[in-house]
Amino acid sequence: MANTNKMIFAMVAGILYVVFGILKMLEGFGIETGLAESLLIPGDFFGGFCFVVIGAVFLYAVKELSAGVHMGVSYVYVGILMSLVFMAVYLLVMGADLLMFYAVKSEDYEGWRIIDSMRPGIYLGLLSLIGYFYWKDRFTTEMTKV
Amino acid sequence: MEKKKITIALAGNPNVGKTTLFNAITGARQHVGNWPGVTVEKKTGKRTYKDTEIEVVDLPGTYSLTAYSLDEVVARDYVVEEIPDVVVQIVDATNLERNLYLTTQLMELGSKVVIALNMWDLAESRGDKIDTRKMEDFLEIPVVKTVANRAEGIDALLEEVVREVDKGEHHEHEVSYGDDIEKKIIELEGIVGKDSALSGKYPVRWLSVKLLDGDENILEKIEGSSVATQVNSVLSTIKKDDYEAAMAEKRYETINTVLPQICVKCVNEVTFSDMIDRAVTNKYLGIPIFLAMMWAAFEVTFTVATPLMEFVDMFFGWLAGVVAQSITNPVLGSLLGDGIIAGVGSVMIFLPNILLLFLMISLLEDSGYMARAAFVMDKLMYKIGLNGGSFIPLLMGFGCNVPAIMATRTIEDEKERLVTILVNPFISCGARLPVYLMLAGAFFGRNAGTVIFGIYILGIIVAILSAKLIRGTVVKGKPSPFIMELPPYRLPTLKASAIHMWEKGSIYLKKAGTIILAGVVFVWLLSAIPAPGVDAAFASEEILGTEDSLIGVLGHIIEPLVAPLGFDWKVAVALVFGFIAKEIVIGSMGVLYGTGEDEDALAEILTAGAMTPLTALGLMVFTLLYVPCIACVGVVKKETGSWKWTLFMMVYGTALAWIAAFLIYRIGTAIGWGL
Repeated sequence: MANTNKMIFAMVAGILYVVFGILKMLEGFGIETGLAESLLIPGDFFGGFCFVVIGAVFLYAVKELSAGVHMGVSYVYVGILMSLVFMAVYLLVMGADLLMFYAVKSEDYEGWRIIDSMRPGIYLGLLSLIGYFYWKDRFTTEMTKV
Repeated sequence: MEKKKITIALAGNPNVGKTTLFNAITGARQHVGNWPGVTVEKKTGKRTYKDTEIEVVDLPGTYSLTAYSLDEVVARDYVVEEIPDVVVQIVDATNLERNLYLTTQLMELGSKVVIALNMWDLAESRGDKIDTRKMEDFLEIPVVKTVANRAEGIDALLEEVVREVDKGEHHEHEVSYGDDIEKKIIELEGIVGKDSALSGKYPVRWLSVKLLDGDENILEKIEGSSVATQVNSVLSTIKKDDYEAAMAEKRYETINTVLPQICVKCVNEVTFSDMIDRAVTNKYLGIPIFLAMMWAAFEVTFTVATPLMEFVDMFFGWLAGVVAQSITNPVLGSLLGDGIIAGVGSVMIFLPNILLLFLMISLLEDSGYMARAAFVMDKLMYKIGLNGGSFIPLLMGFGCNVPAIMATRTIEDEKERLVTILVNPFISCGARLPVYLMLAGAFFGRNAGTVIFGIYILGIIVAILSAKLIRGTVVKGKPSPFIMELPPYRLPTLKASAIHMWEKGSIYLKKAGTIILAGVVFVWLLSAIPAPGVDAAFASEEILGTEDSLIGVLGHIIEPLVAPLGFDWKVAVALVFGFIAKEIVIGSMGVLYGTGEDEDALAEILTAGAMTPLTALGLMVFTLLYVPCIACVGVVKKETGSWKWTLFMMVYGTALAWIAAFLIYRIGTAIGWGL
């Protein structure tokens, strides 16, 4: 049951990250997806590739867990960690934008709003944050073999 | 009564407390030297126990007795050829599975073995209950509990060693490798047994097992024997890699059969490190995860540094203003404003990037992830003729190539080390970053980060392909296998990482205040001296950084060399001075284009027609690949001990840089991109 929850979580997170990653890559190539504005997706090929990698890690967990491999939970854990790393990166970028607006008062940032720096990496990371605090130490204790 | 003399060898995996046990047995009576013909340290010591004088030989720490490394060859040759009376294997009680792998190999060798079950207190404290009596029964080897750092169990160990020597009988142990492999072993035993020189010196079954294991050292021994042809004929019928893997698997199978019976309560706790390793070393996901982590590090380096760079820019702008207002002497004002502040300021502006890059590298290193990166890259590195051990010095090159090249000293194989040194300058160091940042920021706008990341990736690709090329031509040879212990993951502390960042970043600062300062002053001086025949005052505005200055004349002399790449004389001069230190490329451009420390002004001039996106990209690639800085050249000479290889590295890199920039410019022009 515990693994079923993790598998469902990994499937949802995996699909979301892969889809958002592909959208970022397409936008990075200059292909208009029509979703960039509403989902706050910037065109960013390598950033998109990283999302696809995170998604692939989650989906690998689904593959292993569905095959009954308990250690597949490792991929859920690493997927969560990676998405949290990327969440931190985008929050730091947001902090840099704040400085550019308030402290540097750069001309390039005229009319800047905090939402302009909101990235999928931040709001998708929230999902991982919930997963992390929900399972936390249970990741290893449930895996321990006797 | 004369004392009985025996020799014992201490064997064991690295970090199991072998040296501590050696010290506990021998006390201060030690001799440190080298093993014959190699630079591996040999320690011997003496101890008298009751009526026995014991000579103790400390063997190098090894994971197995297959000749993967020099340490293993030394350890094995000693056990096989010198035949100590007893081999004491120090086994880490907290990691029985891995340590017993060496035990299986010692058993196969037919040695008399006594196990020192070290750190058993730690194993017990975490809940393990190891039944040493059962362990002795299963392995048919005496087992003594020791805690080397408290010198516990030493007398009991020596007692057991002396008893084992006195014991006449000795059990031969075998690992069963399954029908197919056993058939081959028997076949080889029949052949090898015919050579009396070989069979008299080594156990025949062990020789046969090692041959199937693909042990290079044993294969060499067989080559000179009377049975070489027959042995090779048998070996030609098998797939070596498959056999090697299958045999290792069988040894672990044997261990895992015994292990649950030895441990009354053996808790194999799955740690977070185990879980992370499972994903980050996955054969499909490992490299993509590594690339994603590197991208995250670069994103922070480039984006988060932007406001900090603005602050540095503001400071130098303010300083230039103060100098302009306070200095009335035009020559001194120009030296300070156009030379020192412009040159050093245009380099210092990138200090936030450099510090953040070092911080990111430190965080990755301190967390323990970099060791995994080396492990993940091992397979790829093997394909290009190196091994994972070369990857860490290459990664260090992202910071600075000088310490990275010095770090190659850890690579045992001389050929692998040479190739790693030769390709290291292609890994883009922090000093080249200012060039990319300025040009990419000016010409590629919001894609600047992507372009810079691409340049870094290009550096890695060129390093890989060059290694493959060099390994396949001028430095031929087979790569050695890579064995390393993965440290547990740790949450890096900001303090420790900040200290590491500062240690490396302060070198950049020191460089800015010394070699870069001297370099830009020299560039300013050449740009302030009127060219022969030009009637103008020294450092006057009409000649400063123009074609009428001495530097203009020099620039025009070398311009034909870079003109096919779309570069003008100012870029040519900047690249020549970049040999002193790569940061000077941008510092020189600031002086030559007369924009001072103002990066925006320099970017404006360049985008207004002095360059195109195509030439900017070409210049970035050229900067990445051409001859490294003088400090790097010096360390290559020192580490290779050869001017031939140093010159090869310089010429090869510069030729590659020229060809790459030429292709970018010509192909880009032909397809009408970025003009």
